[in-house]
Amino acid sequence: MKQQALAHFADIYLIAIAFFLFLSVFIGYIFWVYRKGSKKHYDYLSQLPLQEEKRT
Amino acid sequence: MSASNESNPGFVQVKYNDEIVRMFTLATIIWAAVAFLVGIIIALQMAVWQLNFNTSWLTFGRLRPLHTNAALFAFAGNAIFAGIYHSTQRLLKTRLYSDVLGKLHFWGWQFIIVLAAVTLPLGLSQGKEYAELEWPIDIAVVLIWVVFAINFFGTLLKRNEKHMYVSIWFYIATIITVALLYIVNAISLPISFFKSYIVFAGIQDALVQWWYGHNAVAFFLTTPFLGLMYYYMPKAANRPIFSYRLSVMHFWSLIFLYIWAGPHHLLNTALPEWLQTMGIVFSVMLWAPSWGGAVNGILTLRGSWNLLRTDPIIKFLVAAITFYAMGTFEGPLLSVKAVNSLGHYTDWIVGHVHLGTLGWNGFLTFAMVYYIAPRLWKTELYSKKLAEIHFWIGILGILFYYISMLAAGITQGLMWRAVDANGHLVYPDFVETVIRIVPLFFFRAIGGVLFMAGFVLLLFNVYKTIKQAPKDLADEIVQVKGVPVAVNHSERGHRRLEGMAAAFTILALIAILAGSIIEVVPTLSISKYVKTENKVEPFTPLELAGRNIYIKEGCFTCHSQMIRTIHSEELRYGAASTIEESMYDRPFQWGSKRTGPDLARLGKKYPDLWHYMHMENPRAVIKESIMPAYPWLISSKVDFGNLGKTISLFKKLGVPYSDKDVAGAITSAKTQALGIAARLKDQGVKEDVSDKKIVALIAYLQALGQKGEK
Repeated sequence: MKQQALAHFADIYLIAIAFFLFLSVFIGYIFWVYRKGSKKHYDYLSQLPLQEEKRT
Repeated sequence: MSASNESNPGFVQVKYNDEIVRMFTLATIIWAAVAFLVGIIIALQMAVWQLNFNTSWLTFGRLRPLHTNAALFAFAGNAIFAGIYHSTQRLLKTRLYSDVLGKLHFWGWQFIIVLAAVTLPLGLSQGKEYAELEWPIDIAVVLIWVVFAINFFGTLLKRNEKHMYVSIWFYIATIITVALLYIVNAISLPISFFKSYIVFAGIQDALVQWWYGHNAVAFFLTTPFLGLMYYYMPKAANRPIFSYRLSVMHFWSLIFLYIWAGPHHLLNTALPEWLQTMGIVFSVMLWAPSWGGAVNGILTLRGSWNLLRTDPIIKFLVAAITFYAMGTFEGPLLSVKAVNSLGHYTDWIVGHVHLGTLGWNGFLTFAMVYYIAPRLWKTELYSKKLAEIHFWIGILGILFYYISMLAAGITQGLMWRAVDANGHLVYPDFVETVIRIVPLFFFRAIGGVLFMAGFVLLLFNVYKTIKQAPKDLADEIVQVKGVPVAVNHSERGHRRLEGMAAAFTILALIAILAGSIIEVVPTLSISKYVKTENKVEPFTPLELAGRNIYIKEGCFTCHSQMIRTIHSEELRYGAASTIEESMYDRPFQWGSKRTGPDLARLGKKYPDLWHYMHMENPRAVIKESIMPAYPWLISSKVDFGNLGKTISLFKKLGVPYSDKDVAGAITSAKTQALGIAARLKDQGVKEDVSDKKIVALIAYLQALGQKGEK
């Protein structure tokens, strides 16, 4: 079973499928990061380190 | 420790644990001194061979692992822990999960470092770079790492801030990936308390080792420090990161791509072609996220570049990120096969590494220390001026270091490959290529001394700062704007939040497992790559004893055992090494640096007496050699005690030894040793050395390259 799977390891179609899988995940999360209305959220996140603590 | 504040909605009261941060900060500084000092000593030993004082535990081969382990696990490790505990509590607006676990983490880690500092000079080594520590220490490292993980994830679960800032992401990726890498690369079987053998052999070991080794760079020296950068850069500049969106892309691309890049340490070797190509492709792709992150860090200063003139912390941070950019430019470049054929095994690689460690990790840590010290000791920094001077001396030191190593590496690389019109090597004697670069070793040492001098200023500055600190450093109660989970969320909501952190961790795990599995698993079914018709003889018991000495003395820190598939290399050393030839080698000894020549086919090249004289005093046979002398090999006795156990273990792991080999291991070793000693006597050695280390080592060296099909 394992040997059979390994025999296909250098299969160009598998490599192409993997490539498109990786690429689409990459493009997918670029779109996700720039999704509409996300600016407020990211602005909030980027301010997190700068929220100052108040001494009581 | 945190509670909602009724009178002040939207605020939570928190008491941070700052003591643990102070402890790790001090440990960082102390171990930095050790790491830098040992670095300078071994740098000088490269220039002046006499500096091992004919003493085993002061010799380069034993001190070099001490230097790398001190820099990596002691200096960078403590710095990471200080920064993570400092920033995580503040980003998650809660106190550390457990003070006790924090203390356990701290003292456990320091204890491990002390054990490493004792065992490595004694020569207790697994013979794998950055993974030299023997198995009991490996277990301790894993246990303490688990303590750290529990403390970190515990803090994550009791957080008062719903959202996890990008630094936290980098910390999570660090914790899970380092655990995975360290455990897999350390799977070994012990034969005694002080000696164990890795289960992987030859090419498998090489691949697992560099999957680990390169990702030690990625997930110990890069991702945690990027997390620190994303926290301390906005803090120091008092403005948010240039682009948060870019940091999200930076994170996912970086952790996904990095894990595949390991095979670029094995280019032009016997490693299968597809793995080499894969390593190159992913290394080159790393250019993008690395520079994305570097640009993101530096552009955070947009609109306040004036800080670069006035604030030493900003200076250190910007320089650190610039060195990160330079290092991550050079890395992919060196991963291109043609460039690698020139740079690999030379000092160029040493220069490249130090660009990263001194420039990126060192300077970022210094920035962090200058940031943390006045704040957590509740005072002002003693002297901004001294920090300023530290910066400039440090920069000068790095430049001296890097430029001299770049020049040395390229010079020697070109000399190794120089072939004249008749097809002969222009520099057939290896030592010719060494003499040429020795002056540069002095320049490198000057670079190290300068870097250390700058660091001494930090030491003094921090000491003075702490001196003027108030006596009472008790944790104070502060108010932070946050989302007190317990108040604003139903039980279901709370659990959902925990689920988010878990989901994130699982996604990150998938990202790093993808490359790991595709890269490592196929090679573990070794039968696919080894041609079984090429018979390889296993080492005899005496040769194995010699091999243990070779590893103990750290010979692999200066000598490779891998003749690459490069024409000039085959002219110099003989036919290219094959996978089969090292298939029983535990650990593999392909090496990563040639301060001396490759030894893959050393066997039978010189008579036994040559080796005897060479180990006693290398200058007796090679006039200009810079190798230190190893006189203790001739005076101290060889230990045959564990040979039976070793052979029996190897047999279980698939090395073709018979039961007779196991039973007769010690007798066989003694017989072979008597033979070599008798021959040495005939050739003029006066004393009887049949029970000394030297005979075992000679047996091993004479067997190198002799075991494969002729």
